[in-house]
Amino acid sequence: MKLNMNVQKLFRRPLFGIFLLFGIIAVSTSWVCIATVDSQLSEEYETNSRGIAQTIADASVDIILNRDLSALQSLIDQFLEIQGISYIYIVNEDGEFLAHTFVPGIPGEILASDPADTGTVERVLSGADSYVEVGSPILAGVAGSVHIGMDKSVITLKIQQAVGRQMYLISSIFLVGIIAAIMLMNLAARPVEHLLTYAVQLARAEQEGEPVPGALLERDDEAGQLARLLLYFSRVADPEKAGALARPEAS
Amino acid sequence: MRALTRRKFLRTSILGSLAAPWLGPGAAFAQDETAGSATGFHEGVSDDEILLGTSAAFSGPSRGLGIELYRGAQACFTRVNEQGGIGGRRIALRLYDDGYQPVPSVQNTMELLLRDQVFALFGYVGTPTVTRVLPILKKFQEENVYMFFPFTGAQPQREPPYGEFAFNLRASYREETAGLVENFLRIGRRRIAVFYQADAYGRSGWAGVREALGARGGQIVGEATYTRGAAYGRSMGEQVEILRNAGPDAVICIGAYGACAAFLRDAIDLGLEVPVANLSFVGSENLLQLIADSVDDSERYTRYLVNSQVVPSYEDESIPVVREYAELMDRYRPEVPELLRQPDYVPFDRSFVSLEGFVNAKMLVEILSRMGDSPSRDRLEQAVFTVRDYDLGIGEMVSFSEQRRQGMQRLYYTVVDQGRFVPLDDWQARFG
Repeated sequence: MKLNMNVQKLFRRPLFGIFLLFGIIAVSTSWVCIATVDSQLSEEYETNSRGIAQTIADASVDIILNRDLSALQSLIDQFLEIQGISYIYIVNEDGEFLAHTFVPGIPGEILASDPADTGTVERVLSGADSYVEVGSPILAGVAGSVHIGMDKSVITLKIQQAVGRQMYLISSIFLVGIIAAIMLMNLAARPVEHLLTYAVQLARAEQEGEPVPGALLERDDEAGQLARLLLYFSRVADPEKAGALARPEAS
Repeated sequence: MRALTRRKFLRTSILGSLAAPWLGPGAAFAQDETAGSATGFHEGVSDDEILLGTSAAFSGPSRGLGIELYRGAQACFTRVNEQGGIGGRRIALRLYDDGYQPVPSVQNTMELLLRDQVFALFGYVGTPTVTRVLPILKKFQEENVYMFFPFTGAQPQREPPYGEFAFNLRASYREETAGLVENFLRIGRRRIAVFYQADAYGRSGWAGVREALGARGGQIVGEATYTRGAAYGRSMGEQVEILRNAGPDAVICIGAYGACAAFLRDAIDLGLEVPVANLSFVGSENLLQLIADSVDDSERYTRYLVNSQVVPSYEDESIPVVREYAELMDRYRPEVPELLRQPDYVPFDRSFVSLEGFVNAKMLVEILSRMGDSPSRDRLEQAVFTVRDYDLGIGEMVSFSEQRRQGMQRLYYTVVDQGRFVPLDDWQARFG
């Protein structure tokens, strides 16, 4: 069977409706996905980072009180290898930076901030990159605090990946759905098409005296009934031929 | 050989090269997968061999440090082996390349201790690497594994909880930075900034400068960092700008030669013309060569350079150990084993780093000799403590004890004159 992709005028509106429905589904599920992934990932990253900050804070006490700061630097350098953590810095109770991972220097935004604040802070550093910073006090803050910055672009990338996968699935379903809808519509439109053809042929037969095609008249579905009705009306319109009305039925 | 392929480091034995370096690289070098399981081999000692283990930078932007340190030590060990070794045992080194990166250095150390079963660790390079290895030594403390004379002046291997597992020969970074700060302050240069490597090494030096300035009522006026492994080709313009904005009278660099040479170049290019000091770890000859090879007027770029050293000038042959070093370097012309050799690296005839390697090896040989015919790990520490006022021929008596695990303290300052490092005698005349 040859697939006819021409959409009948009759079904263009329903098809537009299907498009619209899919669009609404895609947008709404993506929005829900973005909101869910963003909130869960952000929460997870923040929880993990706060845990790491607490771990560093606990481990830092002995180093700050008894050992060289190179040991402190070595400690935070190891945590920097964890994905998503972009920077770590440790300040003492006077706000002096004892160890940090910034290159080429400590950003002005961080120098200007309150180092005693260990709450969650959103930062834009270097004028472009966005970070979420969490902190943890060392010895309840009397020995300083640890701060960890997470790169928000990592969360954004994960959201994009999740939404991308979802959009890929929806697009695939949409494509298959549209092809199936067009095929079904064409199938449904075929009797109407036949009826239209019959009507044209009937009109031509009436005008030019040609024999009336009888194939459609033999069908027992709605198309056949409509064809017979058309023939009846054509006979009623021309009383001279009214006698022929019963002939095809008889056959 | 799975580990070799997996981690891209080279496991090599250079027993042959130590015994017969004149045979040429191909013949002198042999891979040895069986060493450590030879008959009578126990804790790195067999009937004819004492096996030492090294993890150092033989590749990457800081490879010159590992290569030169090894070459100096090799010159000493080769002579000892030629003369019959220690108590009839030759000294062998098992070498691994860590590229000056902490994770490979930890992996290499585990290989050295668990598989190779070396007698002791010797000739490690770098603070970020050594600081990560120290906990392993504590873990193996019942095995009496010690680290000898790492090429770093950091504090972690000089103080609790890991100080008891390492012996240092060189002065510390704390002493080096204190010396630089003191000299700068003495000539009126009070605004001191720091350019440092963003890791444990940089922090160690930074802490030394901070402490030295703090003791004199001052503080660091500006600081800038770079990422470990930065090569000379990298721009340090941002770092120079940060420090220039602080208006320093002098800059102390705590880094390796590639980055420090780049900083010096960019500082002069951007008009930051103040004394720029480096610590001994920098690799002075490598730094100077990078500058000399890349600029037309190297005199202009090195005019403000001053480097702190922990060994005397290798050109001062009035010093006995320098004379001995020079003679043996000329005689053996040591090279790293072929598998670790970097085709584009040309070794220096002499350098501060290889002289330090030589002095380290000479001290270790003396310690091993004091153990007599039956060296064992459990007597090693006591053998070290027998070293009291020992004349190494360097002009400074060397002593070790339970409380003193650093043999030497003396510092030397050098500047560049006519393309060579020469002793700095008068700070005021040069930088005042």
